[in-house]
Amino acid sequence: MGDHGRLGRAQRTAAVAAALATALLGSAACGDDSGGGGRASGPLKVWVRGADDSATAYRKVFAGFTARTGVKVDLFMTLTDFETKLNAAAAAHDLPDVVINDAAQLGAMKKQGIITEVDKSSITGRDKVGAVAWKSVQDIEGRTYGVPFSAQANVLLVRTDWLKKVGMPAPKTWDDLENVARAFTTRDPDGNGKNDTYGLAVPGSTQRGYIAWNWSSFLFEAGGDFLKPTGSGAYTSAVASPEAVEAADFYKGLFCEDKAVQPGALNHVTNDSNKAFQTGVAGMYLTGPYAYAVSDATEVKGKYTAVAPPAGPQGGAALAEGTSIYSMAGSKRAADFKKFAEYMISAKAQTTGMTGVKAATIVRLPVNQDVDTASTRAGDPRWKVAQQVYDDNAHYEPVNVPDWQAYRTAAAEALNKLVSGCGDSKKALSALDGRFRELLGKQGIAG
Amino acid sequence: MASITKAPKGSSGTARANAGPAGGPGHRPPARTRPRPPLRRIAVPWLFLAPVLALFGVFKFWPTIWGMYLSFFEVRPYLGNRWTGWDNFTAAFHDDLLRSALWHTVIDAGATVVASALLGFGLALLLEGPARHVRLLRTAAFLPVVTAMVAVAELWSTLLFPGEYGSLNSLLGHLGLGPMPFLSDPDSSLASVMLVQVWKSAPYDMVIFVAGLAGIDRQLYEAAALDGAGAWQRLRHVTIPALSPVTTIVLTLGLIRGLRVFTEIYVLTGGGPAGSTESIVTYVYKEGIQNNDLGTASAVSTVLFLVTVLLTCLTLWWRNRKEAA
Repeated sequence: MGDHGRLGRAQRTAAVAAALATALLGSAACGDDSGGGGRASGPLKVWVRGADDSATAYRKVFAGFTARTGVKVDLFMTLTDFETKLNAAAAAHDLPDVVINDAAQLGAMKKQGIITEVDKSSITGRDKVGAVAWKSVQDIEGRTYGVPFSAQANVLLVRTDWLKKVGMPAPKTWDDLENVARAFTTRDPDGNGKNDTYGLAVPGSTQRGYIAWNWSSFLFEAGGDFLKPTGSGAYTSAVASPEAVEAADFYKGLFCEDKAVQPGALNHVTNDSNKAFQTGVAGMYLTGPYAYAVSDATEVKGKYTAVAPPAGPQGGAALAEGTSIYSMAGSKRAADFKKFAEYMISAKAQTTGMTGVKAATIVRLPVNQDVDTASTRAGDPRWKVAQQVYDDNAHYEPVNVPDWQAYRTAAAEALNKLVSGCGDSKKALSALDGRFRELLGKQGIAG
Repeated sequence: MASITKAPKGSSGTARANAGPAGGPGHRPPARTRPRPPLRRIAVPWLFLAPVLALFGVFKFWPTIWGMYLSFFEVRPYLGNRWTGWDNFTAAFHDDLLRSALWHTVIDAGATVVASALLGFGLALLLEGPARHVRLLRTAAFLPVVTAMVAVAELWSTLLFPGEYGSLNSLLGHLGLGPMPFLSDPDSSLASVMLVQVWKSAPYDMVIFVAGLAGIDRQLYEAAALDGAGAWQRLRHVTIPALSPVTTIVLTLGLIRGLRVFTEIYVLTGGGPAGSTESIVTYVYKEGIQNNDLGTASAVSTVLFLVTVLLTCLTLWWRNRKEAA
C-alpha cells in the first residue's frame, strides 16, 4: 500500500503494464509443460510422505527392489508440505509414478483423480496380504485403488513404575482406565510431593483432526462408528447414535469430572502429548506403536509397557491405520508399478522395512502374513501386543469416502468444543450429525 | 524493516518505499501544461525497478490475481477446475466458524493495535535519545521483533503452561493468585494470544515512534517551555500532534498485521480450544490445506484482501483530509 492516489496516470499505466507483463512471462514459463506426465523409461519416480531417518529406511528397501528387478528408484520425501507439492505436480500434469502415503488419503486422492485403479488379481503375492489390509485400499464401491504396505493399530502405553506406586494393574476396561487415570492424577505416582501428574496424555487439538483421531478408539469400543454404509456406495451418518453419545460422555468425563488429562491438552498436537508422556506429566497414552522408538529415546525408556486399548461396553476395538502404495495418474510405468508393489509386499521388503533402520520403522506391522512380528522384532513383547491388537480388534476409519479429512476435522471441532465446555454430548453429536449429512450430500454419497 | 528504521521524518519514508520512485517530491510528474520529458527519463527509473517488479510480479501480484480467479472454482489440480460462480463465497459466509473467526480477528486486531501503539509510544518516550545506555536498552527492547515468531510462540506456550507449576502460574502462586488456565480455556485463550502479540509488536511500534520523536523540531519544545508549559502540556500539545502522521503509519501497519494474524495463533493454540482463537487466516489454512478446499480458502482470502485494501485506503483518505484541514 502507499500513497497510490498521487501517482500520475502514466506511472499507473506503466505499473499495470509491468505487472501484467511479468505475470504473463511467469505463466508462460510455467505453462509450457507438455502435459504428458511420467516418462516411459529411466528411474521410477516415487514420492513418500515422511521425514528424517525414514528416507534411509526406504532407500534400503528400494535397494533390494533394484537388485531384484534392475529398475532404479528416484525417491523424493517430504512431510509438512507433501499435499502442497503433490497439488503443484498435479496442476502441472507431472505427477510421480508412485506415491506412498497414509491410507486415510485414499478418498481425497481418488476424488482429485490423481490415483489409478489397481488390478489386484494381477499382483503376485496378493493372497499373503490379509483381508483387513486390502479393505483399507478400497474405494466406496469396493474397487482397489492402492496396495497396502504397512499397518498399525493403536495401543495404550502405561507407566509401569507408576502402576506399582499406586498398586494397580494395567487397565483392561473403561472403568479400570478411569480408576488408574484418577489414581495417577491424585496419588502422586512420581513421588515428588507435588500435585503435578495426570492420568492420560491426549492430543486434543482440532489441527488435522487430532482429538477425533484420539477419540475414535473409544467410539469403536462403544460399538459406534462415524459413518455407516447403506450399500451401493452410499453412506449415512452414525455419529449421533446412543453408542457414540456413550463414548463421548466417557471421554468428556476424563477431562471434566476426573480432570485426569494433562493441562492444555485441548491445544495439543501429538508432539505436545508425546512430550507429556515422555516427561512424566501423564502416565498413560493411547497412540500408535511407532511411539515405541520415539519414547525409548527419552527418559521413560524401560518404565512403560504397552497393552491393548481398554475394552468398552461392546468389547475391544482399536483405531487401525496404514501406509499404502498408490499408482499415479499419467504414469507410463504400469508394468514397473506391478513389480514394485509385488516387491514391497514381499517378506523381504517387509522385514527390511521393520528392522532396516532402528529409529524409523517404516513398516510398523507387516501386511504380509508370512512375516512374524515378534521374531522379526527380536522378541519385543510390545510389538507382539501391537500385532495382536491389530489382528483381533483393528477398526479403520471410513477412509474411502471422498475427503475423509473433512469429516475428521468436523468431528474434532465438535469434540474439542464439547470437552472444553463440558457440555451436553447428545446435543453436540446431533449437531455434528447434521454437519456429516451436509458433507455426505455435498459429496453425493448420502444414503 | 529497513525502510521503517531509516524513516526519520515519519510517514514519507514508508509510503515512498512502497510507492516506487515517483513517490518523492523531487520526482513528481510535471504538470500537464509543461512539455513532456524525454522518454528516457521516464524509462530509466522503471528499468532500475524492473528486477524487483519482476520478482514481485511472479511471487506477489500474479499469485494474488490467480487466487482471486480461483475463488470462483472448485479447485481440482489434476482434473481441471470447475466453475462454481459465487458458491465458495456463499458457503464460506454461511459457516458459523468463519463468522466467529471474523469476530475474533476484529477483536484481536483492534485490541492489539491499540495496546501495542500505546505501549510502543510509552517505550519510545522512555527510551528516546542518543545516549549509549539508551541505545542498548532500545536494542534489548527491540529483540522480540527480530526473534522468529515460531520460537517466541513455543517459548510463551511453556511460560503459559496452565498447570500449577507453569512458569507464570508459579509466579502468580507466590502472589496468592491462580493458577490461570491461559491458553487452555476458551474464555481466556484469545486474551492470552493477544498478550503475546502485543509483547512482540509493541517494540516495533516503539522504533517508529522513536524515529518520529527525533523528527520533532526542538524549538517547539523550547518555545512551549518559555510559554510556561509543563511536561504534560508539552506532551499533549507538541509531541502528540507532531506524531500524528507516524501514528497513522503505526495504526495502518498494525491493522494489516492484525487482520492477517496466523503464526502466533497457529503455534500457540491452533485456533482452539473450541474455536475460541480461530482467526480468518487460520480458517483459510484449515479449509485450504487440511480440508483440501482451495476454492473456499481463496474466496475468503480474496475478501480479506479487499477489506484490507479498503481499510488502508480509508485510513489514507482520513489522514490526507486531516492534513489538508
